[in-house]
Amino acid sequence: MKYALYLGCLIPSRELSYELSVRRALPRLGVELADMEGTNCCAPFGIQSLDCVSWLALAARNLCIAEEMGLDILALCNDCYESLSMTNKILKESEDVREKVNATLLDVGKEFRGKTNVKHMVDVLYEGVGLERIEKSITNPFKGLKAAVQAGCHLVRPKILHYGVGRGFDDLDRLVKTLGIEVADYEGKEICCGGPLRDIEDNFARNLSRKKLAIFKKANVDCVVTVCPFCYMQFDMGQLEIKTMHKEEFNLPVVHFAELLSLAMGFQPSEMQLKEHKIPADHILLKHSGG
Amino acid sequence: MHEVANTPRGEGILWCIQCGRCAGSCPVARMTTAYNPRRFMEMIILGLSRKTMYDLAWHCLSCFTCLDRCPQGADTGEVVLAVRSIAARGGDVPKSVAAMAKRIIETGHLVNPTGSVRTQRQKLGLPELTPVKDVQIIMRNTGLDRIVGYHQGKGPKE
Repeated sequence: MKYALYLGCLIPSRELSYELSVRRALPRLGVELADMEGTNCCAPFGIQSLDCVSWLALAARNLCIAEEMGLDILALCNDCYESLSMTNKILKESEDVREKVNATLLDVGKEFRGKTNVKHMVDVLYEGVGLERIEKSITNPFKGLKAAVQAGCHLVRPKILHYGVGRGFDDLDRLVKTLGIEVADYEGKEICCGGPLRDIEDNFARNLSRKKLAIFKKANVDCVVTVCPFCYMQFDMGQLEIKTMHKEEFNLPVVHFAELLSLAMGFQPSEMQLKEHKIPADHILLKHSGG
Repeated sequence: MHEVANTPRGEGILWCIQCGRCAGSCPVARMTTAYNPRRFMEMIILGLSRKTMYDLAWHCLSCFTCLDRCPQGADTGEVVLAVRSIAARGGDVPKSVAAMAKRIIETGHLVNPTGSVRTQRQKLGLPELTPVKDVQIIMRNTGLDRIVGYHQGKGPKE
C-alpha cells in the first residue's frame, strides 16, 4: 500500500507529534507514505463559505499533485478529508463544474483528470491494514487506560462521502480498543467540538467544548482520543483558554490516535515529541503503557 | 429564495418542508436560542431580512448533522454555505474569515509554521513547508482576491 501523504496546514505547523507518529507507525504496518510537494491548504469551510469555485479549485490543485504521482491520497485531518474527497466526488461527477474549475487551473499548469481517490487515515488503518495486523504489531498494549473517543464531524459526515452514519465512529472505537484501551460511553458522541466557530463566534465555540469537556470528565476518563487536528486544538489548547476565562480546570490530556498507536508499537515518546501537548499527556500514557 | 436556490450548494432550499428535524439535530440550537436552522430556512423561504439571514448563517458549525438527518435532502448545512457566499459577493464577510482567506491567498496555507517549528522540522528531517504562489494566480482567476479585498501585485494576468 502506497499513498500520497497530505499533511494539510495545521498538523505540520502545530501538531508535529501527530505527523511524527504517523511517519513512525504506518510504514511498519505496510503503509508506504510518499510526501507531496508544493501542496496548498485544502480549502476548509471558511473558503467554502465565500466562493464555491475557489474552494473546488484550491482542493483540486492538491488532487492534481496526487494524480501526477499516480497515487491515492491519505489525509490525516478530518477537514482536509472532507474538502478533498467532496471536491473529488463533485469534479468526477460533473463535467460542467470540472471544466469551470480546470479553466481556473490552466495558468498554473494543472488539470483535474479524476485519477485519484481520497482516504482518511482511519479508513486506511481499519480497512486497508486491518485490526488483525495492527493487533500483531502491538508490543506494549495499554493497561487500565480509559478514553473518550472524539472522532470529529467530518470523519463520518456527510454520509454521501465514504463513511455511512455511525460507521466511522465504530471503526475508530475498534481501533482504540485494539491498543488495549477501554472506550468510554458518553453523551453526545456525535457532537462537534465547536472548533469551526473559533474566531467567528468565540464564546459559543468555547462554551461548546467546555460542555463536552465536562461530559468527558463525568465519564471518568484518563484522556480524550481524536484523529482531528481541530478537535485536538479545541480541547487541548482550549482547556488553557477555559482556565483563563472561566477559572475552570479540567486537566484532561488530549491525544491523537496515531500517538497512542506508536506508543503501543513500542516507539518512545521522544521519537514523537509527545511533550508538545499543552495539557501534559506523556506521564499518563507511560503510566498506563504496558512497556 | 430563488437566488439561494440558484447559488451553488443552495438548491436544497427548494425541498425544505419545515419539519424541524434539522433544529432537533443542531448542536448550536441546543445551546442557544439565537440560531435555529429550521427558522433560518423559513426566513429564506419567506424572503425576510437579508442582513439577519447573513448574520444567522455564521452561527453554523458545518458539522453536517442536519444534512444527514434531513428526510427531504434539503441540506440545511449546504444552504448555509450558499447564503454565506451570496453575502460575500455583496462584500459582507466577517473580518476573521476575510483575514483567514487573505492568509491562504498570500501563503497558500491556513496556518504557517513559526520560525522555531521550521527549525525543528529541519532538525527532524521533515519536509519544509513553502509558500505556494500558484494560489494567488488561481484566486485571481476565481475572483476570491477581490471578494476579500486582497490586493495582488503584478501577476501573469495583469
